[in-house]
Amino acid sequence: MSAALLEVEGLAISFGALRAVSDLSFTAARGGITSVIGPNGAGKSTLFNLVSGALRPQQGRVRFAGADVTGWSTHKLLRAGLSRSFQITNLFFDLSVFENLRLASQVLEPMGRALLPVARSTAARDRAEELLGQFGLAEKATELAGHLSHGEQRRLEIAVSLACRPKMLLLDEPTQGMSHGDTQSTAAMIKGLAGDLTILLIEHDIDVVMNLSDHVVVMHQGAKLAEGTPAEVRGNAEVQKAYFGENPGGETPGGEAH
Amino acid sequence: MAEAAILRNAVEATERIARGGRNLLAGIFVAIALAFAVFAGMTGDTFFFRLATEALIFAGLALSVDLLLGYTGLLSLGQALFFGFGAYVSGLVLKNVAPSFWAAIGITLAATLLVGTIAGIISIRARGVYFALITFGLAQVAFKVVFNTREIGGSDGIIGIPQIRAEFGLFSVDTQSPAGFFLLTLAFMMLLYAGCAYLVQTPAGRLLVAIRTNESRVPFLGYSPWRAKLFAFVAAAVVAALSGSLYPMLRGLVSPELLAFQISGNAVIMVVIGGVGTLAGAFYGSAILTMLKSVIGTFTEYHLIVIGALFMLSVIFFPKGLAGYALPRLERWVARRRGRA
Ligand SMILES: Nc1ncnc2c1ncn2[C@@H]1O[C@H](COP(=O)(O)OP(=O)(O)OP(=O)(O)O)[C@@H](O)[C@H]1O
Ligand SMILES: [Mg+2]
Repeated sequence: MSAALLEVEGLAISFGALRAVSDLSFTAARGGITSVIGPNGAGKSTLFNLVSGALRPQQGRVRFAGADVTGWSTHKLLRAGLSRSFQITNLFFDLSVFENLRLASQVLEPMGRALLPVARSTAARDRAEELLGQFGLAEKATELAGHLSHGEQRRLEIAVSLACRPKMLLLDEPTQGMSHGDTQSTAAMIKGLAGDLTILLIEHDIDVVMNLSDHVVVMHQGAKLAEGTPAEVRGNAEVQKAYFGENPGGETPGGEAH
Repeated sequence: MAEAAILRNAVEATERIARGGRNLLAGIFVAIALAFAVFAGMTGDTFFFRLATEALIFAGLALSVDLLLGYTGLLSLGQALFFGFGAYVSGLVLKNVAPSFWAAIGITLAATLLVGTIAGIISIRARGVYFALITFGLAQVAFKVVFNTREIGGSDGIIGIPQIRAEFGLFSVDTQSPAGFFLLTLAFMMLLYAGCAYLVQTPAGRLLVAIRTNESRVPFLGYSPWRAKLFAFVAAAVVAALSGSLYPMLRGLVSPELLAFQISGNAVIMVVIGGVGTLAGAFYGSAILTMLKSVIGTFTEYHLIVIGALFMLSVIFFPKGLAGYALPRLERWVARRRGRA
């Protein structure tokens, strides 16, 4: 068994003349946290779209858990154990918090229960209840997801992507717009998830990146600028120039996303 | 542990109350229909029995529209295609194959599974307004084809479809008996309603609601929205066709107009008046529209104008339809009663 759960090789996609991702290769080690950083528009979310099957790469290959999954549909990838969250909260806003989680947990049920009363889907129900507790949303269970505060919606976003018990989770700026306290607790939670779970993380908060990551990939204008341990990346002169240099404080290079 | 139990109770109570409200709404409709049957039966009326039976049959069509629109978020402007298809298949079976209720229903069901799947594959490639336009176009094409096909009566349709006895083992119902066939149709439509109400509270049905709410996230839950939509489309086609299959039993004839846009459009209006996404609303909408047509039709020739105006007013003042207005009130009542029990 390879140490890498995810292997990306020569991945590329262009939108018209814009080369959003070009010739990108890296691997994400099993059980670790690999972070992808880079300024706004570097192509990080596009990379997630390529890996999660939302976009088809024009070049390159994606290998996941030993299989070539290039061009697989999203739902097939999810059933293979690859899940993701969204930078822009992407929930079922008209449905209750519980129903969001139950829907996301439904894939844990045996197929035969799809046409039985939903009350029989006990595995999905139990998983949803577990996540409500884990993410501090139990009191909001029967409220509409659209009525939650921003911070609560961001937590639910992660919970929904985690519901299917994935092997690998792609987190696209999970702490985006969160308060400082929420950011800290979310970071701690993500750290706790790694191990059984392999995490690929896009994060603008550089302290979070430095604290959490086993490995960091730096993107710039669609291409890989550097990679290595947090310390190596931080010490890299090119990264300093292209990235940290712009913002000596180093807090949130690139500023707020969107 | 206690907290978890409280949480589960809260979630289950909300779902039970919602279900209770819906069942109550359907139950009230059945009660009204039965009261009507008693009244019409006592006065020995035939005309209104037939009209009410027709309203029930069209309510089944509206029910299928609501399954697509209210649960999956797909507006079909051509649902009469399946209604008319069911009516023709049933009429042809009754006239040429066997004058049997079960043969008509069974063959309609099988044929619709095939035709619904093909039409579904064509339609659900498109989204939003394009889906509406494709369903509209498909129904128009089918209308023209039926209209121009001599073998199935062309513009005249098929007449002289025999009256039958629907056999149910212990008893049988003569389609010619106004009261008998009204009650049979009521029971049949309530079965279709129960089937839809059951479906939307299964995980598969909940997935349709997820698609309506936010289709873009559904693949990331591990489901193909395409497959789920095709499933909904075929299920709705079956409901529409089975409703249509009763039409020749009522009228003894079928005509191309059953596939016309007027029928599809009316079904959408019924759903909007009754309440989108409520299922039972389809029955109220159909009853209201049929009543308006026959009452206003006796006073003025311009009943379509009056109905159009009333429709606009109802959309403005009751945007959620009759059932959408009644349901929260019924749910509160159910909740109070449960609270006391
Ligand atoms: N579907 C698309 N069509 C056209 N252009 C796109 C599309 N998706 C992304 N882009 C463009 O590709 C570039 C990379 O975008 P991407 O969202 O991947 O950046 P990012 O690194 O995630 O940035 P941010 O930190 O702001 O989230 C941007 O210039 C963006 O405008
Ligand atoms: Mg992004």
